[in-house]
Amino acid sequence: MRWLTRLFRREQLERDLDRELRSHVEEETDRLIAEGVNRPEARRRALAAFGGFEPMKEHARDARGTRWLEDLTRDAAYALRLLRRSPAFALAAVGSLAIGIGANAAVFSVADALLLRALPVDHPEELYFINKAGIPSIRQAYSGPAYERFKAAVPDAGIAARGSLSRIQITNNGVNELALAELVSGNFFDVLGVPAAAGRVLSPADTTALGGAPVVTLSHAYWTRRYAASPTAIGSVIQVNGQPVTIVGIAASTFTGITVGSRVDMWLPMTMQQELRMRGNASMDDSDDSKPWLPQEGIQWLSLIARIPAHVDRNRVVTTIVETHRQAVARRAEEIQNAERRNVRLRERADIVPASRGTSGLRDSFASPLWVLLGTTAIVLLIGCANLASLLLARGSARAREFALRLSLGARRGRIVRQLLTESVVLAVLGGLAGMAVARWGSQALLRWASTSAIAIPLEVPLDWRFVGFVGGVSLLTGVIFGAMPALRLSRRELTDAMKAGGRVRGAEERRALPFGKLLIAAQVMLALTLLVGAMLFMRTFQNLLAVDPGYAREQLITARFDPRLAAFKEAELPALYERLLAAAASVPGAKSTTLSMNGPATNSIRSSGIQVQGRPQGTDDESREDYVALGYLQTMGIQLLRGRDFRPQDDARAPKVAIVNEAMARKFFGDADPIGKRIGYGEPFDVEIVGLMRDARFDGLRDRAQPLIVKLLAQAPDEYAANLYVRTSGDPAVARAALAQTLASAEPRMAIREVVSVEEMTERTVANERLVSRLTGAFGLLAVAVACLGLYGTVAYSVVRRTSEIGVRVALGATRGEILWMVVRETLVPVVAGIIAGVGLAMLVSRFVASLLYDLSPNDPSTLATSALVLMAMALLASLAPAIQAARLDPVRALRD
Amino acid sequence: MAPRDRSDLLQGTLDMLVLKVVAVEPLHGYAIAQRIGQISRALLHVPQGSLYPALHRLENKGWLAATWQQTDAGRDTKVYRLTAKGRRQLDDEVAEWGRVSQGIQLILSTTE
Repeated sequence: MRWLTRLFRREQLERDLDRELRSHVEEETDRLIAEGVNRPEARRRALAAFGGFEPMKEHARDARGTRWLEDLTRDAAYALRLLRRSPAFALAAVGSLAIGIGANAAVFSVADALLLRALPVDHPEELYFINKAGIPSIRQAYSGPAYERFKAAVPDAGIAARGSLSRIQITNNGVNELALAELVSGNFFDVLGVPAAAGRVLSPADTTALGGAPVVTLSHAYWTRRYAASPTAIGSVIQVNGQPVTIVGIAASTFTGITVGSRVDMWLPMTMQQELRMRGNASMDDSDDSKPWLPQEGIQWLSLIARIPAHVDRNRVVTTIVETHRQAVARRAEEIQNAERRNVRLRERADIVPASRGTSGLRDSFASPLWVLLGTTAIVLLIGCANLASLLLARGSARAREFALRLSLGARRGRIVRQLLTESVVLAVLGGLAGMAVARWGSQALLRWASTSAIAIPLEVPLDWRFVGFVGGVSLLTGVIFGAMPALRLSRRELTDAMKAGGRVRGAEERRALPFGKLLIAAQVMLALTLLVGAMLFMRTFQNLLAVDPGYAREQLITARFDPRLAAFKEAELPALYERLLAAAASVPGAKSTTLSMNGPATNSIRSSGIQVQGRPQGTDDESREDYVALGYLQTMGIQLLRGRDFRPQDDARAPKVAIVNEAMARKFFGDADPIGKRIGYGEPFDVEIVGLMRDARFDGLRDRAQPLIVKLLAQAPDEYAANLYVRTSGDPAVARAALAQTLASAEPRMAIREVVSVEEMTERTVANERLVSRLTGAFGLLAVAVACLGLYGTVAYSVVRRTSEIGVRVALGATRGEILWMVVRETLVPVVAGIIAGVGLAMLVSRFVASLLYDLSPNDPSTLATSALVLMAMALLASLAPAIQAARLDPVRALRD
Repeated sequence: MAPRDRSDLLQGTLDMLVLKVVAVEPLHGYAIAQRIGQISRALLHVPQGSLYPALHRLENKGWLAATWQQTDAGRDTKVYRLTAKGRRQLDDEVAEWGRVSQGIQLILSTTE
């Protein structure tokens, strides 16, 4: 710490040093006087014997060992003073650095949180997912009995189970709201090593008996949001989907679940699945989903996570788990008659993968856009660096005399380089500090824009040493990158010419200065063009996607999303509920038609079942999507009926069951044959008749082709339910949307409405990544072009100013304005054209890596490349034309006189 | 200027001599130079240019500690004393010096 006090007590130190040396001389003087020398002579001799004060001080300062630090603080202070003297430059430089560094840090912090960070649990490296080979970790792969088998087989590894993240309806003091919950095994928190922040977390005792332990552990965030972190919440009772449960505690604040990028509000015992009416994602065969799921072998609804402690042999655990599952699969496969299906089942393997970073569907879909953005922001920062380098060079030339003087007085070149670098690093650090604020805002904005729902992606982006370290590192690097070239150039010996020439005539220096300046221009143009090409590719991809005809009419269509099961509606109450909902929808001003559906378009929720067709042998893949709808479905959705008939009011509960299928379904199951009149079922009986064929519609999103779909009537399927209400309006969709939200709130107080939203917005959410990438690369591409052109303008303008007298002479000797104009423009034309050629090459090289993100577009799309090159060329010419015109208008008399 | 016949200090030995002199009693810079000259019976001369950098270096390493005191003449001087760390360093250097000079002595005596 002594070196620190030294920094701040520098003046004191200097004074002390001076006093000490003076006292030495005075002692010597005293001694000489005592020997009989007179005072003036004694003093003269003492001083002579001592030698020079200043060199001695220099040595003593060096001996303090913190010399470099003292120099650094002085250089930094000097740099700050310089900046204060030119606030416009300081503001522009720091501002552009803040945007550049901030954008990089924003993308980095999101990428770090989503892709790199380990789960905030005890020893995350000991955690493993038990998956099925070929199926991602996010999926629910195992049944309750399978889970019990694994636990019994490897007692020394802790295995926890959890169902999918599901929406639940919380009723608290008569108020309904939706929340997100996971059903988990009682040892979930033990296995992960997550403690309670208050009260207790769920324990193994909570899941010993089926239907037991009506308790819940809340997430810290939900507790804070809903209960203001009040301790009195613990012990209170809330209704979850109509079932009373007691809040027993709060999980540690750092823990937000295993699924990165999604929010969990509470964890409930998995033994309560039936009582809580929680039916999350599951794949079922040979099962009864109206009975408790946990004991049923045929319902796969759990994802498993195992902790294999360091002292346990991992290979033995893995082998045991794989073997246990193999035996179980073999036993179940014996019951399958169809040989081909049996073989498919027998191929099923357990797979153990590291789980230290948790799982995330978002990670898979969002990773490549994040890398693209990181590359984009890095290029923007590089262009900014090149700009600052030429700016510093220009400013530095004005200080050439100062450096020349110092060099000739004996300053080492390294010292001057160090000072100039300190100045650029000070700029970069100031930019980095401001950039932190930009990054904090930017990362939140990124999570909002990338979200496929109405709210931002719930991802914790902590402000920690990794973030600060990244910003610090990038700032330093930036400062060195844009500072190094000007520093090295300005500190060259030849600059002593600057003194002799008095700063008026520049011969040798000029010839050296320009190639470097031209190189910077070419580099900027190259990088800006690469970004521009990328931005245009993504923009056209997004346009192509928006222009896709999804097969349904998404304009002027409003939907309300809800779940009657969560509101504890009984089956018998559903028809009345549907009538009330449809009546509420019909009362919306401008309503033309209304309908209901279970899944509908772009909801990201699907039902897929194995289908059998009467008179057709079973295949290996007989899966088809299913949806259940109300009357008026085709009309409201705007889906075209190709053949057969629409649903009719006569198709009620007592009438024969009917279905409408899409083209993909007809192709898959009937080939070229006519599907109308065919009968289908889940095996015997084949009780559903296909009465209509509708056009394919892209329900999964604009990018994805239509899947086989069978649409049936809610009225003929009493155990199914609707989760979406649709209104087609003739008026303003925003007005209809507000009206629908208001009507529903008063008409259906028992049921919480998830959201009321236009189908157009729902559809656009399926291309949220593409929207985000095209918007951001577009913005950054424009920024890059603007910055590069600004740099070009600055360089040309500066060179015109420096060559004022030369141009004056030329004009005086008879050069025409056109010749002067051409002379100036020609100077920049070479590097710009070189930059564009290099940029086209770089863009073609880089765009291959983003090919998978494009839609209906080649990564080397010639028209995109040509347009970008032309736009940049035009912008660059415009940027150099302004100063060139100024040069051409120069009055030779004034130019020569000044 | 100092007479030429007085030996300049061997590189690196100044630190040891300063520590040794200060080990006896706290002294200020001028007194340290005087003391080294006196004890060596004027055989050794401390170059002024090296003394203060050496003192600051030793202080920086924590082997010497300094306080400001008034001399009898009423003058403020910076008085150096040996720290515990400096004492250990001095012991090490003296032992090392003993070994080195013994070695040099052996070489000088056998090659003659």
